[in-house]
Amino acid sequence: MVRVLLRFSREKAGQPITSQVILETGVPINILGAYIDQQGGEILVEVPSDRAEEVIRAFRERGVTVDVRKLIEVDKGRCLDCGACISLCPVGAIAFTKNLSVVFDREKCLGSTCGLCVDACPVKAIRLIG
Amino acid sequence: MKDLVESSGVRVAFKEVDVVTTGTFGAMCSSGAVINLGHADPPIKIHRAWINDVPVCHPGAAVDLYIGATMMSETRPFEYGGGHVIEDLIRGKEVEVRAVAYGTDCYPRTRLETTITKEDLNQFYLLNFRNCYQRYVCATNSRDEVIYTYMGKLLPRFRNATFSGSGELNPLMNDPDYETIGVGTRIFLGGAQGYVIGEGTQHDPGNRFGTIMVRGDCKKMSPDFIRGAAFTRYGTTLYVGIGIPIPILNEGIVKKVAIHDEEIFTDIIDYGVPRRDRPRLGRVSYRDLKSGKIVIGDRTVRVSPLSSLRKAKEIAEILKSWIEEASFYLSAPVERLPTDTVFKPMKQTREVVFVGDLAHEAVTCGEDESIEMAAKRIVEHSVNHLVVVDDEGRLKGIVTSWDITKAVAEGVRRLREIIVRHVVTAAPGEPVEVASRRMAQHNISALPVIDRKGRVLGIITSEDISRLVGGGRYG
Repeated sequence: MVRVLLRFSREKAGQPITSQVILETGVPINILGAYIDQQGGEILVEVPSDRAEEVIRAFRERGVTVDVRKLIEVDKGRCLDCGACISLCPVGAIAFTKNLSVVFDREKCLGSTCGLCVDACPVKAIRLIG
Repeated sequence: MKDLVESSGVRVAFKEVDVVTTGTFGAMCSSGAVINLGHADPPIKIHRAWINDVPVCHPGAAVDLYIGATMMSETRPFEYGGGHVIEDLIRGKEVEVRAVAYGTDCYPRTRLETTITKEDLNQFYLLNFRNCYQRYVCATNSRDEVIYTYMGKLLPRFRNATFSGSGELNPLMNDPDYETIGVGTRIFLGGAQGYVIGEGTQHDPGNRFGTIMVRGDCKKMSPDFIRGAAFTRYGTTLYVGIGIPIPILNEGIVKKVAIHDEEIFTDIIDYGVPRRDRPRLGRVSYRDLKSGKIVIGDRTVRVSPLSSLRKAKEIAEILKSWIEEASFYLSAPVERLPTDTVFKPMKQTREVVFVGDLAHEAVTCGEDESIEMAAKRIVEHSVNHLVVVDDEGRLKGIVTSWDITKAVAEGVRRLREIIVRHVVTAAPGEPVEVASRRMAQHNISALPVIDRKGRVLGIITSEDISRLVGGGRYG
């Protein structure tokens, strides 16, 4: 599965683009998180790896900004491995390793559609990208 | 040691082991550093001073300053504070010092601006008046909003919990009767060698909430073990690394250092209630806390630490290697720490007013009433807020006179359509100050007062609070 962040401008947010793409491509798209305000909206989706290219193209053709970069950046130089972020993560993307270091699972992370951990870091080592 | 006691017994462990090292690395707000700047020419007797825009205290004579970890930058509050100044100085960074004075015959100077590094300071000592809590409570939040506390970010309705301290690795947990830790005990402090200089403030050994006061030379410390930090909407603090060696003097001490996480319990406390005595929701062991999940009532709640267990272990290991290579010598205390002090609450000479004291009966209505009926009630009782309740008196929403006016202007007929469903509320046991802060935060003028089951007990309005402050009914 590939995680893709879709960004909708204010005009695009009012259109049923996601439904159109699903109907057109026939690809089951899993919506993990969605957010909308006056400026537009964001949807984080998961698509099967082998159909990702096709889905991304379909969204781009409709004027949606598609972002497949990583969603979160952790500055390990700053991180204290305290773990204050762990219990905040709704999808269990943050955990302790065996030697008690904190690790982020970028495959599970919801990125900017969530961001609950960001302001909980006492040393501000977590940054959302995009 | 813990394993050895379990496998071979106390006697063997006593023979085999000479010293057990412990460690903790957590946010310790009651920390700070004393610095001495040396004299300027012409000299100044500092009245007020700032380092990197963080106000610093001037508790002594002319040029001694105390950098408190929780003092916040006036230009970057909640981001940068005294803890960060201490860290930056330890890192060897240059910091900006500003000071003003009233000027005297012997100290004529009234203004000072300079930049310094730690090398320019005569003394730069960490002087922490309360560190190294033996254990701490586990924090959670019953409210329906996120709260930001010194125990971190707490999600609404018990969706997470936090804790602090290293449990079985905690220095004071391994010597709970202060047999080896006392005034003059040499310790690992911030990556260097420091000393215990007494019991910490709020030292409460009887309830297993002992603390220590410590001092150490910052010039020798490492930013790996002293870090400035900021808790969102709470403020700045300092993460301090402390390690204490426990000499195994007798079999009694063996038994004490063999303590396990499952034998160390702490209370789960509801930080959603901002009172001195917050509700206690249960008891958990450090083993439960370290497992990542605890049970509160009938739900499983994710829990995470605020202090670094990895660093705590690292500190205990480093201290062990120092002792093995003979670069650290254990010291016997010159005086024992008190074991009978208690932590008293504050003596207050002015009564606090609670929401329950000030709230009055709310004018209520049902969801199915008409706009006209609602308007009539508002006029009849000359109020601005109608609290919407169900048949059992439970809160369903709120309607203000403005909502009614708007509904009339827009031709809306049914009350149901204009009820505000997400209602900010107050509890009767909350101090009025807390409720009024909530009103200001949400930019609203009234809070329905509800009990734990959501039943409406009354309402508190900004007019009630104005009367309280300005005199009148309660003045």
